[in-house]
Amino acid sequence: MRQLFSAGILMLLTSALVASSAGFALAADEYDYDLVHSSVSFKARHLDISWIHGRFNEVEGKFSLDRENPAKSTFQLTIKADSVDTANKARDEHLRQPDYFDTKQYPTIEFKSTSTKAIEGGYEVTGDFTMHGKTKKITFVLKGGKEHEFRGVKRVGFSTELSVKRSEYGFDKSGIGPIGDEVLIYIDCEGMRK
Amino acid sequence: MPDPLLYLQAMGAAAVISALVVLIIAWFRPIALARRTPQLCILGIGLGMMTGYGMLSFPWDWPPSNALNRFLLIVIPAVCVLESLAGDSPVAIRVTWIARIVLAMLAPRILLHGSVYLKEWNVGQSWIMLGACGSMLSGVWILLSRYTARSPGISLPIGLALSVQSAGLAVMLAGYIKGGVAAIPIAATLWGTAFALWMVRSASVDSVRGATRVLVGIGVVGLFGILVVGEYFGRLPSSSAFVILVSPLMCWITELPGLRRMRPHLKGMLAVLLITIPLLMVLFVAKREFDRTMAPLLGRYLPPGSLRQETLS
Repeated sequence: MRQLFSAGILMLLTSALVASSAGFALAADEYDYDLVHSSVSFKARHLDISWIHGRFNEVEGKFSLDRENPAKSTFQLTIKADSVDTANKARDEHLRQPDYFDTKQYPTIEFKSTSTKAIEGGYEVTGDFTMHGKTKKITFVLKGGKEHEFRGVKRVGFSTELSVKRSEYGFDKSGIGPIGDEVLIYIDCEGMRK
Repeated sequence: MPDPLLYLQAMGAAAVISALVVLIIAWFRPIALARRTPQLCILGIGLGMMTGYGMLSFPWDWPPSNALNRFLLIVIPAVCVLESLAGDSPVAIRVTWIARIVLAMLAPRILLHGSVYLKEWNVGQSWIMLGACGSMLSGVWILLSRYTARSPGISLPIGLALSVQSAGLAVMLAGYIKGGVAAIPIAATLWGTAFALWMVRSASVDSVRGATRVLVGIGVVGLFGILVVGEYFGRLPSSSAFVILVSPLMCWITELPGLRRMRPHLKGMLAVLLITIPLLMVLFVAKREFDRTMAPLLGRYLPPGSLRQETLS
């Protein structure tokens, strides 16, 4: 009788644990940013006649997707400002200096979502964007969300374009002129489920 | 983009204001000047700097979040307050020196606050690096103050103004424009105040000696701050920063036997000349490096073959 009672308790506990973990899995999938199949690039006007293109080579991120309750989905991205790459070593060194990114003082550019809303073809994400030590709330449309299982790993992809003004993030105004104030940022990311 | 005309205007305005404050008070209140020359010089320097930085549209934020703002809003005001409170009695001199050394040891920590260096270094490395920087500043400050006590005059403040100006130029040539521009009002106010002291030198010899100590304090700390910001946050090479920091010590050569009994004005000119030599050497190297790496970014035409070599090497 005593053994039967213990077994019953154990079964109850196990099923509760399984049910809760299954419920969690259903509620939100956790993904890591896949650096190999993702990119964060940008372009800015030069002399208002052409565009300079660049990218950040070191990015980390994670996001959780709740398909049933999208408002609970979260997105985080951390870009190492030192990894700026415009295919010109001298320019990259200049961009790392305090007239631009000041990477020794502000080593990362970060985004952390505060609210997410499902829209047709993706999500509308609002969050805190921190660059050059200044944090501002921004909203952008994250397109995609398609899933694909490849070699046993579930993947999901998103892309977005956003525009930021350097002057709003405390960049030195004397550096704004030949290089335009507005920078267009393109994020194409693939997440791998943990 | 650099704006040389604006820099010249800011430099001129800062120098004129700092000189005028001392000269106007010397004209209308000669007794006040004789009693409070160091404090009046600090007032002139403060107003001159505010004018210069105002014309240069320096962006301020409080609490200061970057090294340049911490330098201009904490370190420079701290040295001005310290020098304005310095007294002449033996006890006051000792207390002032303790305060100067505390400030010198704290300055590198203040400048590097929140930077990647303090996160990357372990506790031991932080103590060594910050201690070495602070000791270097203390050493230069002590040696230059000793020189001022032996050879009062405006040659050392002029040498320090040249050093600060050269530090700014070297930082700019290394690619950190705002960091270099920050040196302009400091150098200009040293020029202006030194000129004013030279004008009133006959009216109050003793007070000029005290005021020179003030200029040396502000000049040394100003020079150190520009170099630390340029080296740790910009790309100023450590070797260049070191040479510029110690270049004012070249004035000690004039204290060698055979030179020390020269006429004061000749000795002063020789001291300035000796300080200038290493500065010119550093600027020559900095300009050559600028032409190699930075000039193409500023729109200089390069034939197709040379682009890869100059910018990607």
